[in-house]
Amino acid sequence: MTQLSSLAVVEAHQLNSALPSQIQTLQKNAQEKLSTLVVPTRKTEHWKYSAKRLGDLSLLSNNSETVSTTAFVENAIYIDISAAGIDAAALSEIEESGLTLQAFTQLSDEDCSAIIELAEYERGELEQINTALFNDGLVIRIAKNAVIECPIILNFVQDEAGLTTPRVYIELEQSAQATVIENYAIADVDGAFCSSQTTALIGDNAKLTYLRQNPLGSAFRIGGTTRAILKRDANFESHILCLGSAMARHDLHVLMTEKGSHCELNGVVVTKEKQHYDNHTEIEHIASNCTSEENYRCIADDNSHIVFNGRIYIHKDAQKTLGEMNNRNLLLSNSAEIDTKPELEIYADDVKCAHGATIGQLDEKEVYYLKTRGLSDEQARQMLTLGFVLELVRAVPIASLAEQWEQTLSELLSFKD
Amino acid sequence: MLDIKDLQASVEEKQILKGLNLEVKLGEVHAIMGPNGSGKSTLSQVLAGNQAYEVNGGTVTFNGQDLLDMSIEDRAREGVFLAFQYPVEIPGVSNLQFLRTAINNIRQHRGEGEINAAEFMKQAKAKIQQVNLDPSFLKRGVNEGFSGGEKKRNEIMQMLMLEPSLAILDETDSGLDIDALRVVADGVNALRSPDRAVVMVTHYQRLLDYIVPDYVHVLAGGKIIKSGGKELALELEEKGYGWLGLEDNAESEA
Repeated sequence: MTQLSSLAVVEAHQLNSALPSQIQTLQKNAQEKLSTLVVPTRKTEHWKYSAKRLGDLSLLSNNSETVSTTAFVENAIYIDISAAGIDAAALSEIEESGLTLQAFTQLSDEDCSAIIELAEYERGELEQINTALFNDGLVIRIAKNAVIECPIILNFVQDEAGLTTPRVYIELEQSAQATVIENYAIADVDGAFCSSQTTALIGDNAKLTYLRQNPLGSAFRIGGTTRAILKRDANFESHILCLGSAMARHDLHVLMTEKGSHCELNGVVVTKEKQHYDNHTEIEHIASNCTSEENYRCIADDNSHIVFNGRIYIHKDAQKTLGEMNNRNLLLSNSAEIDTKPELEIYADDVKCAHGATIGQLDEKEVYYLKTRGLSDEQARQMLTLGFVLELVRAVPIASLAEQWEQTLSELLSFKD
Repeated sequence: MLDIKDLQASVEEKQILKGLNLEVKLGEVHAIMGPNGSGKSTLSQVLAGNQAYEVNGGTVTFNGQDLLDMSIEDRAREGVFLAFQYPVEIPGVSNLQFLRTAINNIRQHRGEGEINAAEFMKQAKAKIQQVNLDPSFLKRGVNEGFSGGEKKRNEIMQMLMLEPSLAILDETDSGLDIDALRVVADGVNALRSPDRAVVMVTHYQRLLDYIVPDYVHVLAGGKIIKSGGKELALELEEKGYGWLGLEDNAESEA
């Protein structure tokens, strides 16, 4: 049992004195919490299938360099976030009506209150590590009624071994709308570990479209927590492309705190070789009349391993909830593994909540149909495998990104000889 | 072109076809009618190569080759097309992508090069309009969210694109309103030519008002028990299958 607080990377951490005092307090508290947490093992329930993939955390240091990234979506705002921190001067050059971008170090103590308040929801080892160690963070605020048309792209860049802990806080005021894309550009080297944390506060009638993509890897490790707090009639839509690496873990936590909010969570997961991806999602229906819809599709090939743990928690006041969760999985090899666990916890009596999880092979009726049109067995299977995930990719609202994802998946799922 | 001799086939150990004989020559249109459970769909599926059906006797020769010995995809590439009674929905696989792969496979089989992308789009747009479907259907998943009638029209659209030499229509008319039925019939009539043949399997005489067959056969109990010209269909319509001493047994539909 190794306490998280005894990790070298934690002990070596130097508090950034430029951070507002409230944030410094938050960070000190998180560091104290680390002494109550241990490095997860397979006996840690929510790390059951992934703990052995964590690698040797005692070797981590937090001194990674940055790399430059290239634009992948046109007419977008690009922001690089790395171990070196956030370039506040570059942020100030971005001019977009209704959009405010700031580094944590630029905040006054008053500006921090929501960040501190929402930290109450934090949990989990990787999230605590992020809170204890981040050097700086990014604040994205969208003013009331502002609709930011161009996507805001966050490049989390890391080009060598070490731990990076990017931190983002997004706030949409009433009826605001924005699209945020998290792009992880991590060098595929042993000991590279990125553990991000993003919290979004979505105001009344506001809408956040959230996309997340990480590269395929064999050596780097990636962890991340995304938390969305929805106010009245708020809308949260997420599309996540999960490509496997040595260890990949994403926790998505949605809290529907006021009436009439809606969330839609889509995830496509593909792993090959010895890769891994573990998604833990939790949708908490706290207020009444909210709806949630979740679709995750996973494909595991070779010796890879996918975990899906999806939880819907309906609190006692959340009457008239509509919740739907669907997880479908395809195993392409006998030695691949997928562990899926849908969980429903319902304390209200007037709700409609459904979940379904399947693990299987391709539908032979569909294979037959395609073959009657002249496709070979291999072509038919390849087309159906790709189609299985493209159904969700086609729902990605940025057409050029959807095309890139389709291209990536086409290459990834083209059959071997 | 198609010569079926003493064909026997079973599904889940139940014998459905019990010695079926049928000869179809180039340029001909044959209608196969019969009560439910007579083996109409089984015949269609066996010809397309569905492995859920076991052939346990007889021969099928197609253009001089043993059809039963060919893989499903080779039958298609040689020109056999089955319009399904219940086409499957395949979300995620777009109509366009799938059709283009199908056409290129057939072309390759004939020793031709891949179809030019612009030419393919031109043809696809023309054919989708021919079956009265919106061109936006091309980009959608195969039959994804299509109504029953739209699925049938999509089958005909595929048939028009693939230009088979033998088209088998498995109850393509069932469940269609009169407008859709006309669209389907127009599609089949457009394909009629001296170097193609059509086998229509149907329960109702109605379709034959729009696609006039050269021959009508009555299939019952796994065999063809009566053959004649188009007037046989009218006689069946008038007198019912009871006239031939047959019960319309829906429960044993295979």
